[in-house]
Amino acid sequence: MTDIVQIPAAAPETKGRSLFQLAALRFRRNRAAMAGCIMLALIALFSFVGPFFSPHSYDQVFPSYVSIGPNLEPRPDTSTLQEVMESVAARARVTLKEFNVEGEAFTATVTSEQPIDPRATRYFDRANEFENTKVVATEDEGRTLKVEGQVDREYFPFGTDSNGRDLLVRVMLGGQISIAVGLLASLVSLGLGVFYGATSGYIGGRVDNVMMRFVEILYSLPFVFLVVVLVVFFGRSFILIFLVIGAVEWLDMARIVRGQTLALKRREFVGAAQALGLTDWQIIRRHIIPNTIGPVIVFVTVVVPKVILLESFLSFLGLGVQSPLTSWGALISEGANNIQSAPWLLIFPAIFFVVTLFSLNFVGDGLRDALDPKDR
Amino acid sequence: MISFVLRRLASAVPTLFIVVTISFFLMRFAPGGPFNLERPLPPTTMENLMRTYHLDQPLWRQYVTYLSNAVTGDFGPSYIYHDNNVAQLIGKGLPYSMELGFYALILAVVGGVIAGTIAALRQNSFLDFAVMSVSTIGVTVPNFVVGPVLTLIFAIMLAWLPAGGWGDGSFRFLVLPMIALALPQLAVFARLTRGSMIEALNTDHIRTAKAYGLPSRAVVITHAMRGAMLPVVSYLAPCAAALLTGSAVVETIFTIPGVGRYFVLGAINRDYTLVMGTVILIAIFVIVFNLLVDILYGLLDPRVRHD
Amino acid sequence: MADTTDSILTVRGLKVDFSTPDGTVEAVKGIDLDVHAGETLAVVGESGSGKSQTMMGIMGLLAKNGMVAGSARYRGQELIGLPPKALNEVRGSKITMIFQEPMTSLDPLYTIGRQIAEPIVHHRGGTFREARKRVLELLELVGIPEPARRIDSYPHELSGGQRQRVMIAMALANEPDILIADEPTTALDVTIQAQILDLLKSLQQRFGMAIVLITHDLGIVKHFADRVAVMRRGEVVEQGRTPEIFERPKSDYTKMLLAAEPSGRKVSPPDHAPIILEGRDMAVEYAIGKGLFGGSSTVFRAVDGVNLRLRQGQTIGIVGESGSGKSTLGRALLRLLPSSGYYRFGTTDISGFDRSTMRPLRRELQLVFQDPYGSLSPRLTVGEIITEGLYVHEPELSRAERDRRAIAALKEVGLDPASRNRYPHEFSGGQRQRIAIARAMILKPKVVILDEPTSALDRSVQGQVIELLRDLQRKHGLSYIFISHDLSVVKAMSDYVIVMRNGRIVEEGQTDAIFEAPREPYTKTLIGAAFNV
Repeated sequence: MTDIVQIPAAAPETKGRSLFQLAALRFRRNRAAMAGCIMLALIALFSFVGPFFSPHSYDQVFPSYVSIGPNLEPRPDTSTLQEVMESVAARARVTLKEFNVEGEAFTATVTSEQPIDPRATRYFDRANEFENTKVVATEDEGRTLKVEGQVDREYFPFGTDSNGRDLLVRVMLGGQISIAVGLLASLVSLGLGVFYGATSGYIGGRVDNVMMRFVEILYSLPFVFLVVVLVVFFGRSFILIFLVIGAVEWLDMARIVRGQTLALKRREFVGAAQALGLTDWQIIRRHIIPNTIGPVIVFVTVVVPKVILLESFLSFLGLGVQSPLTSWGALISEGANNIQSAPWLLIFPAIFFVVTLFSLNFVGDGLRDALDPKDR
Repeated sequence: MISFVLRRLASAVPTLFIVVTISFFLMRFAPGGPFNLERPLPPTTMENLMRTYHLDQPLWRQYVTYLSNAVTGDFGPSYIYHDNNVAQLIGKGLPYSMELGFYALILAVVGGVIAGTIAALRQNSFLDFAVMSVSTIGVTVPNFVVGPVLTLIFAIMLAWLPAGGWGDGSFRFLVLPMIALALPQLAVFARLTRGSMIEALNTDHIRTAKAYGLPSRAVVITHAMRGAMLPVVSYLAPCAAALLTGSAVVETIFTIPGVGRYFVLGAINRDYTLVMGTVILIAIFVIVFNLLVDILYGLLDPRVRHD
Repeated sequence: MADTTDSILTVRGLKVDFSTPDGTVEAVKGIDLDVHAGETLAVVGESGSGKSQTMMGIMGLLAKNGMVAGSARYRGQELIGLPPKALNEVRGSKITMIFQEPMTSLDPLYTIGRQIAEPIVHHRGGTFREARKRVLELLELVGIPEPARRIDSYPHELSGGQRQRVMIAMALANEPDILIADEPTTALDVTIQAQILDLLKSLQQRFGMAIVLITHDLGIVKHFADRVAVMRRGEVVEQGRTPEIFERPKSDYTKMLLAAEPSGRKVSPPDHAPIILEGRDMAVEYAIGKGLFGGSSTVFRAVDGVNLRLRQGQTIGIVGESGSGKSTLGRALLRLLPSSGYYRFGTTDISGFDRSTMRPLRRELQLVFQDPYGSLSPRLTVGEIITEGLYVHEPELSRAERDRRAIAALKEVGLDPASRNRYPHEFSGGQRQRIAIARAMILKPKVVILDEPTSALDRSVQGQVIELLRDLQRKHGLSYIFISHDLSVVKAMSDYVIVMRNGRIVEEGQTDAIFEAPREPYTKTLIGAAFNV
C-alpha cells in the first residue's frame, strides 16, 4: 500500500528501462550468480576447446601408463627410464649394455648372441616412452647395435584410467557430452512443455481438462524407471538419451506454462487486448508469450542440472553413452568402482561435475531473484 | 472422511490399470527378450522356454493372463531368478529397502525442517548461510558421489563403519547408506521449509499475532510453522514413496539386498515380470502416500477439509 | 500545539526509515501526535503518506528493513526500543489493532474462537477452555449471529464484514486503552462499512477506549473523529478538531484534499439524442462445479434480465456492491462474454455477432479497467500499448503517423509525450490510468465503458481523472457507461443511474431522482451508507 517510489519527471529524451533490462541490471549486481556464469563459461571452454590443445585423443590407450596418478611432471620419469629400457630390451630379446639420456634424446647400445635384426627398433617405438628410434651404428657383425632416439614425454596432469587413457581428455569429453545432453534435453522439454502448456491453458475448458488428465497419468508412472526402460529397450545412442530425458522432463514445464497462461488470461491487459479487437494469435504472441518468458527461463535453469543429474545417473547404472565415449556420470561411476586403488578417477570428474551443478544453481537463483516480480 | 478415502482408492484403480497397461506394452514392443543372451540358445531350448513361460501366446492373451493373475497377487515367475517368483523376490527385498528408507525419511524430514526453520528465523545470518550452503551441496551432489566419498572417508580411511552389506542388520551397517539416501531429500526439505517459513513469517496474520503481543515462540510455532508445513507436507508423498521403495544407486554402492536394484536388473535383462512387479509396487506406494498426505493436509488446513 | 495533560499516547519526533536497494527511504520524518483518553483521532493521508507506518513503527511491527527512531510514550512508558518481552505486555492488552484486510489478517488454519482467545490466554493466563465463555460474550457483543455455532468456524467460512467483526472482538478482548484501526473498512462494501463504523462507535461509547483511525476517506473522518491529523509525505501538515479542519483548513494540502471530493454535475444530453447502444433481456450465466464428465452443475446467473439504453453523449452510471454483476454487464454489452439477449449498436443488430464480426466495431466500443497496474502489459512500452489498437483497425498507418497519433493521444490525456518510450512500471497509478484512457481514445470511439476507473486511485488523483473523462466526453461527444461502487463519483459523472443487486436492476432513473428521492430500501441503504455514515 505504500506508494513511496516517486516517478521523476520525464526528461525530454528519456528512454525507459524495460523489465528485462532491469532484471539484467539486478542480475549483474548479484556476485554469486555472475561468478557462476563465469565458472560455467570456463568449464564449457575447457570441455569444448580443451581437446584441441591436447596431444592425446579421448580413446588413445597408453599401455605403459595404466592407472597412474595425477602428476604435473612429464612421464616417464628420467630415473625410471633405465628400468623401462631394460624391459624393452628383454622383450626384444637383446641385452642392454649402455643407456644414456640427454635431454629429450637417448642413446643405447644393445648386444645379442645372434646378429640383431635392425627392425628390432620397432620394440623401442612400441613402448610409449620412446619414439623415432634409429640405428646409428652396427658393430660385431650385427651383434651390437647402437641406437638413438627420442624420449617421448607425455603429460598426464589428471592421471590415467585403468585402460591407460588420459583422464584430462576424458573429463573434457565427458563435459562435452554432459553439457550437450543437458542443453538439448532441456530444449526438448522446453519445446514440448511450452507448446503443450500454452495450448492447454489458452484453449481451456474441456480440452484443458483432458490434456491435464493425461499429464497426471504420466506423472503416476515411476519416471526414472521409465527412462531406464526406454533406454534399455531402444538402445543407448546419444540422441536417444537426450530425447528420452527431454520427453520425461517436459511435464513440469507444461504445468508451469499452463499455470502462467491461465493467470495471464485473467489479467486485465489481455482483456484490454480483446476489447481492442486483437485476434487470439496476436494476443498469444504479443501478450502471453513475452510474459511467460521470465518463469520459463528460471525453470530452465532448474531443468538443466536435473537433466545432467539424470544422464549421469543413467551412466552410473551403465545405461549412458557407450565406451569409448563417456560422460561425467560414467567417469564418476568408474571412479567409484576404483575408489580404493585410484581415487583420482572419482575426484577429478566429481569436481567438474559438482562445480558445474553449483554454478548452474547460483545462476538459477540469481535469475529467479532478478526476474521475480515480487521484488518490485 | 471414510467416503473420501474410499473415493480416492476407487479412483486409484484406473490409474493403476493405465500404468500397468502402458508399462506392459511399452516393454513388449521393444526389441529383444529375456532369453536373447549373448550366446544364442539352441532353437528347441528357446522354444521350450517360450512355451514354459507362455511367451509364445498372442500378446493380448498374455496381457489378460497377467492382469487376471496380478489381481490375485500372482505376479508371475522371474525369468532370471529361477528359484523365486516376483512376489517372493519383492517380499524378500522390500523389508530391507523399507527399513533403510524409513530411517532416511525420518532423518531427511526432521533434519531438513529443523535446518530450514533455523535458516528462516536467522535470515541472512551466518547460520542461514551455512545451512543453505550445505543444502546446495545436498541438492547438487548426487548420491552416487556422496556414497563412495562417505565410504572412502568413514569405512576405508577411518574404518569406523562397515563399507557395505546388511551384516546382522545392526544400525552400524545402516548409517552410511542412510546418510547417502537422506542427504538430497534433507536438502530439499531444508530449502522448502526455509522458503515457506520466510513467506509465512511475512503474512498479515503473523503481523496480527505480533500486534496482539503473543510471545515469539507462540508466533513461530503455532502460527508460522503450521502454515509453512503445507508445502513440506505436499512434498512428503513423492519423497516417502521414492525412499521406501529403495534406491538402485545406494543399494548397489552399499550392496544392500533391497528391491531398489530389481528394476534396473530386471530392465537390463528384460525380465518382464520382475519389471512389472516393481512398477506396480512403486505405483501403489505413490498412490497410498498421496492419499495419506492428502488426509494429513486436510488435518492441517481447514480450507481443504474432506467431509 | 497539542497539550500533553491527558495524553495517553504521546508521540514526539517519530521517524521511520526503510533501507532499500536504491538507498534509504524516509517514510515518516519526525512527527508529533497525541492521543487522549477516550477520544477518536483520525490520521488522514493518501497512499505513501506514512500514516500506517507511523503506527506500525510504534507497535514494533515494521517490515525487516524498517527502522524506527524518536519517542512514543504510552502513559509515561517509552515504547520505542522496548525489548519484545516488555512490548508484548502492552501490545494486544493496552493497545490493540485491527487491519485493512480482514481476509488475510486472521490465520486461516485456526478457528476464530481460538484466535480471539489467544490474547486473553496470553495476557491474563488461564486455559483456552476457560476463555471460551468470554469469547462467546465478545462474539455476541460485536454482532456475530449464532455465536455458539460460529465460535468453531474458520475464517474462510465467514464473510468479509464478519471477519472484521471477529478482528474487533479480538481487539476488545482485553479491554484496551487504545484501539488502532488501520483502514478498517476500505476492503468492505459500503453498506458493510457503515455497519462496522457504527459498531466501533457504539463500542467506544460503552468501553471508553481511545480510537486511532487511519484512513484515506475524509467522509468517514467527518462523521467519526473528534480530532484529525493530516499527513503528507511523512509529515503532519495539520492537526486540530474535526469541525475546524473541515470548515477552516489552514494548509493548502488539506484544502486540496477537501476540494478533491468529487463535485459538479454533468450537462445531460437532449432527450431526443439517438440511442447508440442498447441491450434488452441481457443475461449471463456461469456453470459452477462442472466436472470432466459433466456431472451435477449449478447455473449461476451473474446478469439476469437487464435492459439498458445509452443515448449519444449520455453517461449511465451503474452502481452496486461486489458481486452485483455490474462489471459482467459491461463486458456483455461489448459482446466480450457469451450472453443472451438482444443487442444493438447504432442501427446494427449485433446480437448474433461473434468475435470476428465484432472486430471492426471494436474501435467504436472501448473499455477502461479498474486496475491501472494490471491493465497495461508490463513488457511493452507506453507507445506500443497505446498504438496497439491501430495495428488492428488502421494497419495501413506508417510508423511516423502512428507515432504522431501516440503523441497526440498522450497530450490529450495530459501526459508528457516523451513518456511513450518508457514502461508502465515507471508510472504512478494515476498516470497509468491516463495511459489506459489514451489507449481507448486513440481509436476515436463512440462508446466507452469505464469499469471502476477511479477506484484504485487516491482521492486527489481521482478528481483529476474524473475531470479528464468529462473533458474528453464534451470534446468528442462520447457516450459513457460508468461502473462504480463509489456513489459520490457516480453522482458527479452520470445523467442516469442504474442500481444493481444480485444481477438484477433494483432501481433506475435520472441521477437527481435516484440520489434525492430513492424509492427502494436497498438504494436508500446504499446512499445512506455512502453519504451520511
